[in-house]
Amino acid sequence: MTKSDHLPNDSLLRAIDDELAGTEVVLVESHLQRCEECRRSYQELSHASARIESVLAAVPIEHYPEERERLAEELERCQTKTNLQGSEKVLRRFGWGMAIAATLAIGVLLLPGRHARIPNTTGVSEARSSAALQVDGETFIPLPYSNPELPVSASHIVEMRISASSLADAGIVFEPISNTASEQDSSVLADVLLGMDGQPLGVHVLRQ
Amino acid sequence: MEQADILALPRPKWKAEYLEDTSLRRLVLEHYDREHVPLLRYLALLGVDRETSRELVQESFLKLHEHLLNGGDRSNLRAWLYRVAHNLARNTQSAFRSSKTESLTGSEGAREPVSEAVSAEEELLAEERVKCFREAMNQLSLAQRECLTLRAQGFKYREIAEVLNLSVSTVGENVARALERLKDLL
Ligand SMILES: [Zn+2]
Repeated sequence: MTKSDHLPNDSLLRAIDDELAGTEVVLVESHLQRCEECRRSYQELSHASARIESVLAAVPIEHYPEERERLAEELERCQTKTNLQGSEKVLRRFGWGMAIAATLAIGVLLLPGRHARIPNTTGVSEARSSAALQVDGETFIPLPYSNPELPVSASHIVEMRISASSLADAGIVFEPISNTASEQDSSVLADVLLGMDGQPLGVHVLRQ
Repeated sequence: MEQADILALPRPKWKAEYLEDTSLRRLVLEHYDREHVPLLRYLALLGVDRETSRELVQESFLKLHEHLLNGGDRSNLRAWLYRVAHNLARNTQSAFRSSKTESLTGSEGAREPVSEAVSAEEELLAEERVKCFREAMNQLSLAQRECLTLRAQGFKYREIAEVLNLSVSTVGENVARALERLKDLL
């Protein structure tokens, strides 16, 4: 770029947009410092840009609130499909209409210590950590990080294989694997109780 | 990433699709809440009619869900969304048929759409500006309009290049040409 060459608009615009590449920065800035004409062009472009952006932002866009609901339903359909495709997973769904049953849902039952060891984490989880969850005649070991406020009635039970290490991370340790490092990758078949937030509430190990 | 990202929660990694999926669904809806209006605006400015835009937006977010389910790259989901919406629009025959920004005009639709409430005067003024703007936009090539609109949505040239499958320098040129033409018309 010689002194007589003025800056092209796309250079000016890249300067406005902070998109100049390494060496260009010095060239453009030094030219702007000594060339009034380019400074004027820079100002003009800068104003035009601001004007255009404000008009663009003012363009009224109609949107439809029911579209979100439609998307949410569609996403759930995709999810159900995915679950049914999984060969090892059986989804048993409790009717969402069973919310009335919420009041009697959280069965509190003390679990013998030899079955599970649950770490004390937060105060909230501690309050529940010793109570098992009773759903549909099945006993679940509650997980330390699940939300205790959720009604158990609006939950799903999903049968799946869970790696022993995941279980151990959740504070549930089973005798045969707790001491042997070599069996870290083993998995167990378990029913997982999922709350309405999709987070696991509890686990019931079916067999190892 | 986002607050509701299940992976960010202090919980063990459950190697089960189901659990992943529920959080992904939430993530998709979060993106929807943030991006659906800007996306509709982008499509409108490209000249895609409203009904088509509506479908394209739905489809784009379903594809986002699929992308996340398949463990796709999450580094720039916003740009990813625009790219998908853009390609869907390209593939929709009717979408770019007119290649004019007609969809910015009337409310000939059957359903009652929601738009921000403004006073009658403001509305008139805005309408006038939009009409003027539409005419100006129609002077631009499609690529110029695309680049200009994405730039106005806050994308960097590198991201615009990614969305439109152009080189960064082409993006810069398109934005510059678009501005050159518009600055005298607005
Ligand atoms: Zn100059």
